[in-house]
Amino acid sequence: MDHVKVKTLVIHRWFDERRTDQRVSHQWRVKGEREGGREREREGERGRERERERTMSTMSTMMVCRLFRAASCPFPFTAWPVCVQGPRHDSMMCTESRPAVSSFDDPEVQKVLMSMTTLNVEHIFRPVKQALQPPTYKVMTDKQLQEAHEKAIEKAKELLTPPPVLPERQPIDEVLSHDKCIAGLEASKYIFTDISSKISERERLIVVREVDGTLRKATWEERDRMMQIYFPREGRQLKRPPLFNDEHLQVHKRCYEDLAERGKHDLLKSTRYFPGFVWHLVLTKQFEGLLFKFLQDQAIEEAANLIWLFNRLHPESRSSVEASGKALSKVELIQNFAQTDAQNVGKIDLALQAYLVTTKDYVEA
Amino acid sequence: MFVCFQVSALFREAVKRRIILRFALGGCTNRPFYKLVVANRRRARDGPYIENLGSYDPMPNSEGERLVAVNVNGIKRWLGSGAEVTLPVAKILGLGGILPLHPMSITAAERKRRKSA
Repeated sequence: MDHVKVKTLVIHRWFDERRTDQRVSHQWRVKGEREGGREREREGERGRERERERTMSTMSTMMVCRLFRAASCPFPFTAWPVCVQGPRHDSMMCTESRPAVSSFDDPEVQKVLMSMTTLNVEHIFRPVKQALQPPTYKVMTDKQLQEAHEKAIEKAKELLTPPPVLPERQPIDEVLSHDKCIAGLEASKYIFTDISSKISERERLIVVREVDGTLRKATWEERDRMMQIYFPREGRQLKRPPLFNDEHLQVHKRCYEDLAERGKHDLLKSTRYFPGFVWHLVLTKQFEGLLFKFLQDQAIEEAANLIWLFNRLHPESRSSVEASGKALSKVELIQNFAQTDAQNVGKIDLALQAYLVTTKDYVEA
Repeated sequence: MFVCFQVSALFREAVKRRIILRFALGGCTNRPFYKLVVANRRRARDGPYIENLGSYDPMPNSEGERLVAVNVNGIKRWLGSGAEVTLPVAKILGLGGILPLHPMSITAAERKRRKSA
């Protein structure tokens, strides 16, 4: 048997350079069981925050939420693999528009979004199905009780940190080599997966040698399959469930739009998903129902914040142009929006009037 | 004479202790499956090996792909330490871009094209 002596180690560069310059969306992963899932989410979040600084080259975990049923409790997530075809892949927190003026991570935007997501401790720590355990009782002084309450608020704030809204992952279209000299050699293509340990999923190189000799990087679908074969994750399947065969499946957007349509914004209030929800609505200009709700609930601060966010994300809009450079009060800001860009002018005007009347009555009284 | 004897003995020892990167056959009847393996040359093909560095499934799957898993770090390490590579492994790794394309692959492709033309 002829043994090939590799005299010079010619390992091609693409296997040495694991990182490429391709920025890729980073899909949030949520587990089914709430408590356990949260722990892992937070760990994952920190890890992914670190990773976000580096350039990422490979696909990350895919996940999808089940189609939201407005009547029931929102978002029972599973780590379900979603292979949505086409370039407009949608995952948990992807937005469809290209870089907005302000990004979701802007501290100002985050502050505004978090203020809209009110911190309702009772809602955050509501009873949850858990393993049966005898209850624990603690005897506390007033001061200890106060401290425990403060701790609970801190924990609540932590639990409210929203998953990041990231850009969609772009299709992978990189050819490493056109080797026409071996065209027709093999009858079927080869997929090579790098199974070296201690490489992150994103950096892992998966390449395909086509029948015509081209050596290219694997597409997202191929990557998902290979990762599931060699590094399987629990609860995932190799083949996409037929439910997700819809080419234009955009589950989380459908959920948000369904919620907005039915006016059930409150279902997501005081949860981690509210910032992403508001972000999507403002980006797609479907937030007037929410604005109306804020006005009805006398939450003028939140209503004004919503308009502020709209102006930030759509700087070319008339409302933003007219509001720029002026120091408008909250009511004036909303009025400005109602007169320029609102679709339901009458409804918003009415709500504003009602608010002004009631506050005037309150002030007078 | 003495030196020659020593050298040839050393050579024989070295040949016995050659570390090879090769395919170890597994699977079952009419269903081959190969493990990419680092082994001592004198060992049985499917016998004990030093390290498993991947796999190769020669039968195309439902999507028409032949899957090859390669532990590139391991391969680099062993090749760097002087392991040799068998022809099939060299060809497959050439296809994968880990090693350069094997000249016989190119030749075989040319011959195939010439025949079908």
